[in-house]
Formats: sequence, C-alpha cells, structure tokens
Amino acid sequence: MYWVSVITEAGIFAILALGLDVVWGWSGDFDLAFYGYLALGSYLTFVLSIGKPTPPVEYIIGWHLPVLLAIPLAVVVVVGLAAVIGAVALRNLREIYFAVTTLAAVSAVYLLVENYTPLFDGYNGVYGLINPGQTALNLTYNGYRIFLLFVVLFLLFLAYLLVQRLSRSPFGRLLRAIREDERAAAAYGRRVFFTKYRAYLLGAALAGLTGGLFAIFISAFNPSAWTPQELLVIYAAILVGGRGNPRGVIAGVFVVYIGFIELTRFLPSPASRPDFGPAMRQILIGLLIILMLRFRPQGIFRERPGVDRGPRPAAAEPAPAPEPGEAVR
Amino acid sequence: MTTFLVSVGIGLATAAILSLSAVAFTLEYAVSRIANFAHGEFLTIGAYAAYSGQRFFHQSVVAAALIAAVAGMLAGLALNACLIEQFRGRSAITVFIATLGAALIVQNVLVIAYGAANLSYSFTQGGLHHVGPFLWTTSDLEVIFSALTVAALIFLLLQRTRFGKAIRAVSQDRALAQVSGIPARRIVMQTWALSGAISGFAGFVLADTIGTFGPQLGFSFLLLTITATVTGGIGRPYATLGGALIVGLVIQIAGAYTSSAYQLVYAFLLLVILMLLRPNGVFVRRTAMEVRA
Amino acid sequence: MSGALLEIDDLTKSFGGVSAVRHCTFSVDEGQVVGLIGPNGAGKSTVVDLVSGFGEPDSGSVTFAGVPLTGKRPDAISRLGLIRTFQTPREWRNLTVMDNVLLGRRKFARESLWRSLTAARRIRRDEELDRAVVRDILERFGLTELKNELAVRLSGGQKRLLEFARIAAAEPRLIIVDEPMGGVNPVLGSRIGEAVRQFATDGLTVIVVEHNLPFIEKTCDKVVVMDLGEVIAQGPFSGLRDNPRVVEAYLGMDQSHG
Repeated sequence: MYWVSVITEAGIFAILALGLDVVWGWSGDFDLAFYGYLALGSYLTFVLSIGKPTPPVEYIIGWHLPVLLAIPLAVVVVVGLAAVIGAVALRNLREIYFAVTTLAAVSAVYLLVENYTPLFDGYNGVYGLINPGQTALNLTYNGYRIFLLFVVLFLLFLAYLLVQRLSRSPFGRLLRAIREDERAAAAYGRRVFFTKYRAYLLGAALAGLTGGLFAIFISAFNPSAWTPQELLVIYAAILVGGRGNPRGVIAGVFVVYIGFIELTRFLPSPASRPDFGPAMRQILIGLLIILMLRFRPQGIFRERPGVDRGPRPAAAEPAPAPEPGEAVR
Repeated sequence: MTTFLVSVGIGLATAAILSLSAVAFTLEYAVSRIANFAHGEFLTIGAYAAYSGQRFFHQSVVAAALIAAVAGMLAGLALNACLIEQFRGRSAITVFIATLGAALIVQNVLVIAYGAANLSYSFTQGGLHHVGPFLWTTSDLEVIFSALTVAALIFLLLQRTRFGKAIRAVSQDRALAQVSGIPARRIVMQTWALSGAISGFAGFVLADTIGTFGPQLGFSFLLLTITATVTGGIGRPYATLGGALIVGLVIQIAGAYTSSAYQLVYAFLLLVILMLLRPNGVFVRRTAMEVRA
Repeated sequence: MSGALLEIDDLTKSFGGVSAVRHCTFSVDEGQVVGLIGPNGAGKSTVVDLVSGFGEPDSGSVTFAGVPLTGKRPDAISRLGLIRTFQTPREWRNLTVMDNVLLGRRKFARESLWRSLTAARRIRRDEELDRAVVRDILERFGLTELKNELAVRLSGGQKRLLEFARIAAAEPRLIIVDEPMGGVNPVLGSRIGEAVRQFATDGLTVIVVEHNLPFIEKTCDKVVVMDLGEVIAQGPFSGLRDNPRVVEAYLGMDQSHG
C-alpha cells in the first residue's frame, strides 16, 4: 500500500511536470509561479466540494459539488489567475526578470492565502475531502486508493498523449522556435506573446488539474504543503529527464521522486534529529540540480526534433488527394 | 501623523538593513552578471555564525558582528569558487537555477547543524529613543548607523580606490578589463568576499532586529532584496540604495495602515508593477529598442 | 512614381543624443533590386530596423503597398509580405534545417493550439504539401543532405543559405537582405550573390544592404547611398562614380570589400 501511495504521488507530479515542461521546456520561460497554480487548484477543489465551513474554520465558497465538477471548475479559475499573471509577466519580461516577477506574484498570492483567513483558513488550510465517491463505488479504503492510482496513471497517459501530439505539431514547433529566437519568429510574422501566452495557460491548466488530483490524494491542503522545496523537486525532475522531451520528463519525475525519496529513506536519522532525513533529501536535490546543470544540462533524454523522411515514393502524383499521410516522423 | 512618522522611522531602519543586503546583491550582479539566488544564505550564515560566536563572546555585539561578516565573506568566496566560476559562460538563467540549488543545500545544512527551530541571541535589549519625530530602539540606531557607515565606505571604495575602479571596469566589460591589465578573476573574487561580508553582517543585524531567526532567514529576505535592487536599478550601487529606501518605506508605511503581515505583499506588488513599467529601475531611463511582438 | 511598392519618407531616428537616421527618403518599385550602401555607421541597419518594425522612428513614414507601416509591430509587417534577414544569421538553433525552413511558410492558421490537438491528422496532411515545396527549396540551396541536422551544427555560410531558404519559403513580396556577404569567403559569396539575383528573377522586390560594391554593381537596378544618417545620392550605380559626395564618403574604403 505504501508503494501505491508513492506511485500515485509520482504520477500526479508527472502530470505536473508535463505542464511545466510546456512552459519551461518548449517555451523557455522559467516560471516560478507554477506550483502556485497547483496549490490554488487544490484549494478550490476543496472549497467547491466539501460544503460550508463550520466555525471557527472559515473559507470562501463552500459548495457541495461532486468532485468531477469541482475539479474542472477549479481549473477554470486557475487558468483565470494564470491569465492575469501571464499577461503581466510574459509581455516584455524574459529570463531572470520573468522568473523573479512570477516568483513575486506567486509569493504575494501565497502570503495572501496564508494571512487572510477568510480565504482558505490561513495557516490551518482546508481538509476533509476523503476519498470522494468511495461509497458510491463500493470500495474499501485501500481499494479506493488503488482505484485512485489507476485513475492517476490513466490521466497521466492521456496527458502524455496530448502533450506528445502537441509537441510534434506546428504549434509545438513554433513554440520552440520562439524559445530559440524571438526576433526571428517576429520577422516571420509570428505573434510571440500570443503564442507563449497560450502555452502558459495550457501549463497552468495542467497544474490546476494536478491540484485537484492532489486534493483527493492527500485529503488536505495548507501552506506547509506549498514550500519552495516541493517546487524544486519538479524542476529537478525536468532537468534530469530532459527539457522538451515528454517521455524524458515523465521518466525524470519517477527517477527523482521515487529513486531519491526512497534512497533517502535508508539514510540514518539520529533519534535526536528528526529533521536530518528530510534535510538530507533536500541537500541531495540541490546537488542534483547543480550537477545536472553543470554536466548534462540537456537531461538524460534529449529533446528529439522531428525528422523529415519524405518525399514519399508516389511523389509524382501532384494531386493533393486525401491519402493516409503518415510518411513523416 | 505619529503613526506615519513612526512607521517612517521603522521604515528607515528596515531600509538600512535592506540597503546593505541590496548593495551586496547588486555588486554580485555587477561583476558576475548573475542574479544570485543563494544571496540570502550569506545573511543566514552570518546570523548563525554570530550565534555560535556568542558562546565565546557573550555580550559583545561588535565581536558577533565581526564573526558574522567573516563567515559571510567565506561563504561568498566559496560560492564564487565552487559555483559561479564553474558556470562561467552559461546563460544567466542556468546560473540562477544553480544558485537556487545552492540555496537549498545551504539552508538544509544549517538545519542539520543547528536544527530547524528558531534561535535568538541573548544580547541585553536597549531602550527606546526619541530622535526628532522618530521612535527608535538602540538596535535600530545601531542598524541605521552601521548601514550609513557601510554605505559611506562603499562609496569611498568605489569612487576613490583602485579596487573600486577595477570593479567598475570589470562590471562594464570583463574581457576589456583583463586586456587592460586588470586581474579580473581576482577582482571578482574580492568583490564576492566583500559582498559576502556585508551580507553576513546584514544577516546578523537582521536577526538581531527581528529577534528570532531560522534557516529561512535570508531566503525570505531575498525577495525583498531583489525588489529593492530592481526598484533602484540592478547593477548600480547608488541607485540600489535609493531603491532600498523606497521599498523599506513603502512596506512599513503600507503595513502600518493595514496589517504588518501584508508588508511583503506590498513589496511584491511593487516589484511586479516596476517590472511592467520600469524594469531597469526607477532611476534609470527605459532602453530604446525592444522586440514588440 | 505613383505606384512604388515601398515608400520611405523623411525617416528620422536618434538614440540618446546621437542622430542615427536623418530625413531619409527613397522608394522602391515592385520588382526592383535596390542596393543600400554607405560606410559603417551610415544608418543603413537602422533604416532596415525601422522599416521592418524593429524600432519606431521619431518622425517620418513608411508605406508598403499603400499600407502605412509606422507603428506596426514586426510580425504585422512581416504578414504584409515584407521580410528581412539579420546581419548575423538568426537560425533557430535547436531545430532542424527542415523545421527552420518549414517555419518560413506562412500558414499561420495551422499553428493554433486547439487545432493542433483536435485536427492533428488533417494538419499533418496539409503540411505535406508545404514539405514538398520546402524540399525543393532546400535542393535549390544545396541544403538537402542537411535537412535533418540541427541548425546549430551548420557552418556560418550554411546558416546564411539557410536564412535564404527560409525567406524563399515565405514567398514574400519584398525582401530586405542585411549584409549577406559579411565575413563570407568568395566561393560562398558568389553563391549568395546568385541566390539574391535569383530572387530578383523570380519577381521579388529586393533591398540589399551591402559593402561589396562589385556585387551591388552587378545586381542592383538602383543604388541608395547613405552617410552619417542621410541619403546623399540615389540612382544607377554607374552615376555614383562621378558623384563627389559619394566618393568622399567612401574615401579610403576598399572597393572590393568582402
């Protein structure tokens, strides 16, 4: 059961990483606000489905929607926030300025959430979404957890297909070109901001979705789950797996998350210092980031550009007849 | 009116600490062209070093401050040698991420060494003083005084000494400076040592002002530092001082009228607005050509 | 002439206190090849930037096919059919040569995120036509063997040819070629010269900014000479030799620059 939990969490983070890869790997923007979209997606899923708060707990909304409705709705709101932050940050800011601005924006939101209790009960956070639909599906607790694992893996598979399809499409190609050189893209008639913006919103939507999944998975969410450390695991995973390569990203998440987390479990933690284990884990992650950047910045799996295999043998045929056009890639 | 003035007074004290940290940050940027996300850790290291030193020097604030500065200096040298120089020639954002990793490492090493709980110094507290319309503690006065002193020293250093000139040369164009006979690598190293020392000292002062501190001390101050730097103009020490002043005042005044918890929110909103309107800083004119697409 | 394709009128731009371009006026007719020459610092590249939208003039106007360009963004100007190269080749480094040139094709509707997800198969089919066109273009520029190479691996000269291939793929109305021969060996230089002349033969309107005067003489119908931000002469190349201002501007400059 422990492994069910670990793999489920890794699967959720893998979807998150795919979203971040769209923004960071393909579009080239180091977005530090990304985890905030997950957090918000999580919070919203809660307050949309657990009903009215009982004092002294307080939070907004408090509807009783089924989770299958709550999550899409949460995603919509998250994309709304991303629309604002993206509009501000993506217009003219790049590289460090973009990173710092997104960090400032998400930190402001974080502080607001942490201190303005009417929002999401401040430091206490929200809780109480325990295995939604378990009774309806007639499952035991453990049975539900296994069910959840399969749901997550299925969604991961869907996300992978979506991202893969996008990666090989003209949109994906354009996004990468913009990453490589914006001026040239503009010189060829491309709308740089608009394209990046769409990618940014897509990434945020995926993050919002993962937030909803996360809400179901851990049944609670509060500011302590929203720390820089959580963030950096994802970025490290993408660095390891390979920016711009969806398969690599997923592999990176599983390697870093499962490999690392599990490895560090075997580290001796002196009884007097319970912080030792987690701290050591963070140190290793930090080292991993630095080493990957220094020695293999493209990741274990490179970004694979499309290969042109044409022309097809029947190239003498001039008519653009609707033949099954699978010759390339 | 008194609230306003009192918060202006506190704002000045905050601005003083912020200016130390921000000037150090801007020096790092000036010579190495990177935004050092591990900068906050210099402060944290300084604070912790002073804490350890207190066991030997008890009530001597001066000794604690010195230890903090030395620790910061060593940290600056170490980061430069182990990280910055290793990543020479790489893109700014790559180094930025690497410093993020370094920050993570340092914070957690401190957790292992000292535990995650908050600590505090055991200096005797001074009283409150009325200085004109402002209300300051002894601590505040020490802070403002030391910040002004350091600022003056930096001014002298940059303007009057050869070292200062060398820093300016290297920050303009490293290759050119080297060709002109300036030992760029050594200058860079010394600048990092200087900036680390200032930061370590600032960390001690910050920890003493706040009262308690933990491994996250410098990191949480970092965004404020970046805001101050960007407000003034990154890479320009005098503009940065101005930026620190503005930010320090803004957050204290705004925080006094709403709630101090939201101080940082104002700082971050200020940062976001500045990035939109004046990314090169309040005191710098906008650059001419950008890609608009 | 009333129907000039590109009309530049009284263009002025300064940076800080320095005047880069002053009262620049000339026009280009459809199908013409116009050379823009002058010593370094004459303002040629600034004019190119201003015309193509990579900068806003302080005053003056630019009109392309009757449409005013001043104030338009570079992507909008490009969509009207005016495309430029850059002094240093700007290829998309981590994309293949094929992708680089394919992106020159102006089929913007295909790049919609939504359609890329929902109509992927149809898009791929439509794109096959463009791929065929691009393969021909690559053949024309001798880049076929390199089509699946990452652009970053190309030599400097190959990158220039890549840029030309990309422009050819875009089928523009007017091309501005910014110093195509800069720092290029003579063999490649003549190939580039051929390519430019081929553009002209294909009916494209071309503005070439160049220092290589023999090339300009051979290729251009009309030459505009700039110095210190101003247009000091315009007309056929043959007339320039006798123009004292032109000679003075070029005093000391090697005629066979390359």
